[in-house]
Amino acid sequence: MTTIDEQAAPIAIPVRPDETKAERNERLRLLVRSPTFLFGCLLAGIWVVCAIFGNLIAPHDPVAPDILSKFEAPSGQHLFGTDKLGQDVLSRVIVGARSVLVVAPLATILGTVLGTTIGLVTGYYRGFVDEAIMRVVDAILAIPLIITALLAITALGPSRKTLVLVIGFVFTPIIAKTVRAAVLGEAQLDYVQAARLRNEHGPYVMFAEILPNVTGPIIVEFTVRLGYAIFTVATLAFLGFAADPTIPDWGQDISTHYQSINAGYWWPVLFPSLAIATLIVGINLIADAIAQLFER
Amino acid sequence: MDDTQRRVDAIRTERSELENHIIDEYAAGKITRREFVRRGTVVGMSIPLVSFLAAACGGGGESGTEATSGGTATGAAQPGGNIRVALIQPSTEPNPLIVKDEGGAGLLGSTGEFLSFSNAKLELEPRIAESWEPNEDGTEWTFKIRQGVTFHSGATLTANDVKTTFESLVDPKNASNALSALGGVLSPGNTEAPDDATVVFHLDAPNGNFPTLVSSANYNAIIIPADLDPADWGKTFDGTGPFKLESFTPKVGAKFVRYDSYWGEKANPDGFELKFYDEEGPMIVAFQGDEVDFVEHFSVSGGQALLSDPNVQVIAVGASTHRQLHMRTDKDPFTDKRVRQAIALSLDRNAMVDGLWDGKADLGNDSPFAPAYPSTDTSVPQREQNIDQAKQLLSDAGMADGFTVELQTWNGFEIPDLAQLVKQYASEIGVTVNVKIVGDDTAYYGDAVFGKSIWLDSVMGITDYGHRPVPNVFLSSVYTSKGTWNAAHFKNSQADDLIAQYIAALDLDSQRAAAKQIQELLLDETPVVIPYFYNFLSAAKPNLQGAVSAATGQFDLSKAGYTS
Amino acid sequence: MARFLLTRLGLAAITLFLLSVLVFVGANLLPGNVARRKLGNLADQAAVDQLNHQLGTDKPILVQYWNWITGLLHGDLGTSLSYNLSVNQLIGPALTHSIKLAAFAFVMVVPLAIVGGVVAALNRDRLTDRIITVGGLSLAVVPEFVTGIMLILIFGLWLNLFPVSANAPDGSDILAQLKYLFLPALTLVIVLFGYISRITRAGTIEALDADYTRTAVLKGLPRRTVVRRHVLRNSLLPTIAVVATQTGYLIGGLVVIETLFNYPGMGRLIFTAANGKDFPLLASSVLIVGIIFLVATLLADLAYSFLNPRIRFAAAE
Repeated sequence: MTTIDEQAAPIAIPVRPDETKAERNERLRLLVRSPTFLFGCLLAGIWVVCAIFGNLIAPHDPVAPDILSKFEAPSGQHLFGTDKLGQDVLSRVIVGARSVLVVAPLATILGTVLGTTIGLVTGYYRGFVDEAIMRVVDAILAIPLIITALLAITALGPSRKTLVLVIGFVFTPIIAKTVRAAVLGEAQLDYVQAARLRNEHGPYVMFAEILPNVTGPIIVEFTVRLGYAIFTVATLAFLGFAADPTIPDWGQDISTHYQSINAGYWWPVLFPSLAIATLIVGINLIADAIAQLFER
Repeated sequence: MDDTQRRVDAIRTERSELENHIIDEYAAGKITRREFVRRGTVVGMSIPLVSFLAAACGGGGESGTEATSGGTATGAAQPGGNIRVALIQPSTEPNPLIVKDEGGAGLLGSTGEFLSFSNAKLELEPRIAESWEPNEDGTEWTFKIRQGVTFHSGATLTANDVKTTFESLVDPKNASNALSALGGVLSPGNTEAPDDATVVFHLDAPNGNFPTLVSSANYNAIIIPADLDPADWGKTFDGTGPFKLESFTPKVGAKFVRYDSYWGEKANPDGFELKFYDEEGPMIVAFQGDEVDFVEHFSVSGGQALLSDPNVQVIAVGASTHRQLHMRTDKDPFTDKRVRQAIALSLDRNAMVDGLWDGKADLGNDSPFAPAYPSTDTSVPQREQNIDQAKQLLSDAGMADGFTVELQTWNGFEIPDLAQLVKQYASEIGVTVNVKIVGDDTAYYGDAVFGKSIWLDSVMGITDYGHRPVPNVFLSSVYTSKGTWNAAHFKNSQADDLIAQYIAALDLDSQRAAAKQIQELLLDETPVVIPYFYNFLSAAKPNLQGAVSAATGQFDLSKAGYTS
Repeated sequence: MARFLLTRLGLAAITLFLLSVLVFVGANLLPGNVARRKLGNLADQAAVDQLNHQLGTDKPILVQYWNWITGLLHGDLGTSLSYNLSVNQLIGPALTHSIKLAAFAFVMVVPLAIVGGVVAALNRDRLTDRIITVGGLSLAVVPEFVTGIMLILIFGLWLNLFPVSANAPDGSDILAQLKYLFLPALTLVIVLFGYISRITRAGTIEALDADYTRTAVLKGLPRRTVVRRHVLRNSLLPTIAVVATQTGYLIGGLVVIETLFNYPGMGRLIFTAANGKDFPLLASSVLIVGIIFLVATLLADLAYSFLNPRIRFAAAE
């Protein structure tokens, strides 16, 4: 809409429709060797493994209360100590990865699909439809994201399904804006004009012609948004809106234990916090590496 | 000796039959001195009289442990000073009719006064009412109103103010929170003030515990001027208490100063200050950081720092706050009472008390008769964990292979933790409990009517109940066939009769007799498991003496002061 | 220029209107109703219905919306249903608190981020750059409550240097207030640094690569003068933009930090209003936050186009 928004919008990546397969493979090879990418994969990968194999790796049962051993400091038996119910913090951290790594990617995929569609439509058709939708998008974006998510979750009640839906919908406007910006750039190019001259239908031009050429920004956007989705899931859990209070969840465990910091019980809070931090940082390093890929 | 005896006899001829009965019980040693004092004050005997009789007729010994006095050590407190109190954020405006939470109750009680004050030992100390007594069958209670009491605004209090206050509290159009205590007990139009110093309450049915229902235990029942609209109370906080309002900032706090024309002993501090906190954590931090001197209420889970600090005065008051684990008696798998008993027997209540409450709770015996109540019959044996017996009962009921059941509740307090523990204990007898937790209490309570509420419709659920000074409401709303809070759908005509008997009983003996039978019946039928009654905790700085807490969330700082 | 201004204002007005509709509809979609929230879970349904009628929450939604909007235009933000006070009275203090924290955070982070971004750009692709960029980004994506908790643990619990509650006692001087606000503000600095410095870096790089910079260097000016006179001014333009877009978040979106540090700002107000189904308070406070955001971005837009000669001249055509 204006220069400001374009600048402030998340990464708008120039795209190269005319690169050859060899050039692309070369770029991929560079990606795989970049230290940022590798480190990011390491950090995120640990948690993906935990999410998949959680219960097998965990040394203790994460949901077995042992009430008389509560708040035990980290020791040989419990590497991360125990929480207020006597549950092993390490096991809860390991198994807790699953909750967030199920909801966040699904939400991001939802947001990306919706956002891409809207971005394509508005970027291609322009005109009144574009203006109207963009006004609504701007209105939504005027409110801080966490507030919108918070209000929606309060209205719908927290559950895996509602979290995916709410976070997905909340991310749609931003993704739409990015995709739209990329599409705007593409729509001027020759191949689009050519398709129009061939009397191809709008949807065909959008999805078959333009879309393949904006996959770069979309992939980057997806990866960045994935990090934010994890961020939002954890924050909502911290505020009391965990998907399922009966299973281990990092944000929720922090929320129920941070008052105990005053009593000196730092371990039930520190370790889930580090888990969140490392996972998100890992994802973002991957996103950063992919973005750099296109920047060169 | 003769002289004393003659005086005692003289006193006794003037006393009502009920009062004499109590004196008899005490003289025969059936109740302890403490209970005698409590019962005596409840039925209207003045404290000096009771003290005299207690000394003169002292037959019973001190039995049982002396509960905490509900306050800090007294003596050596310096006059003056300003006390800073941390209070949970009131959720409504300060309107005596609609206040329904602790924060609001704290506001009302800071300047307002009641007919009597229900202290930590559940005794009633006279305040605006000097004395009170029932008629023959307990359907009518007459209160003598103290003279010479003035409101902070200057007007003199008369019986008419008391009458108007209670009429507005029981008026269904006002939908006051007080109806939860007085609904079905006192109806509109039945309070009269025949003269400036007398108020007579005509009850719907005999009720031996009525004075408690109009004491500070009913925190909406502060006496306000007859011409003051309760909705405007928040502008002036007009009342008759030892402190009056200096300033009130919504959502932030309030300041109070000593009221020098108080009818009783002037308050010791120059004033006190309330600071509102949205959450418990910051309250504790503020206390540790010397920003407040007294935390009105904190929980075990949030207050670990305070409990483990030897420099903090923790005031633990026995209360009847509890959780109810209900099981639908009209739905499988809980139609057979043996199954319900099995669940109750699988729980390790001692571990729960130690683990969830750091020992600061009383064991619950699956009935609302908390150990803190004098009318509780403590001879009924306490149910203990017995896995073998539980498994046997299940197999007798034809469920030897166990079963799966869904437990629904909401995410607040320690409830998810309790659910987790129940699940674990149940698994030891072969029962799989699937816990489903909704995020919000409104989602769990729904419309609070059958058919529209997870609470009332679920096969198994956990509900939180706040403290009440007498178990009447618990009994009539939860356990009677027509009870509106009867989540277990428990319909037992014997229970209905016994409960009616208890409520109508005017003296401790008959109350206890009915209680014993109810307790035994409920242990047998077990529609509801009540694992514990946890204490009400307050915290005070070590140099703050004389601060008094009661389980209703009322606190009294009039005798408080700093030692240094 | 004037035409550009008018267009922007017009678009902002439309967005504002849409925002108000969105906010109002959203607030009213919350389940549970006000009267039940007020009277408690166990209250009688008839009493609940009666109170709802009294409060006017059962009127048709268009009527309620109209009442709200007309009230707003008169400066009356409505009456809070939970507290029975004018919403203005409740928003005033909350807004002041949010502004104080935001200002403190801004004052710390903006210079820091600008310096970081410029330094990173000047050392492009070398180690310094990677540290600042990757480090800043990593710190920025960690959720605020995690960062906040870390700071509380380190500075509050273990080192005991700063108070962990953001509320200075009444009547404290400005220095004491700042001390209490330090940890929450520092949390914000950590969260924002990466993002702002990255934008500054991008802008600086663009300026460094520009023709006029090369000309200045060829003219023989020392590098430092080039940076100071030509590059900085142009690299700061996008920074203004990004700072503006963060105002909405800083004023209204800090519910987590406000919870952690018990700070009564707009974030908490909105959260409490949502939980209490207090529609007037919720709708008005969210709208205020949205308005602040729109105004900030509008001002930034204007400043940007004014300062950026290219746009100014393009718009004039």
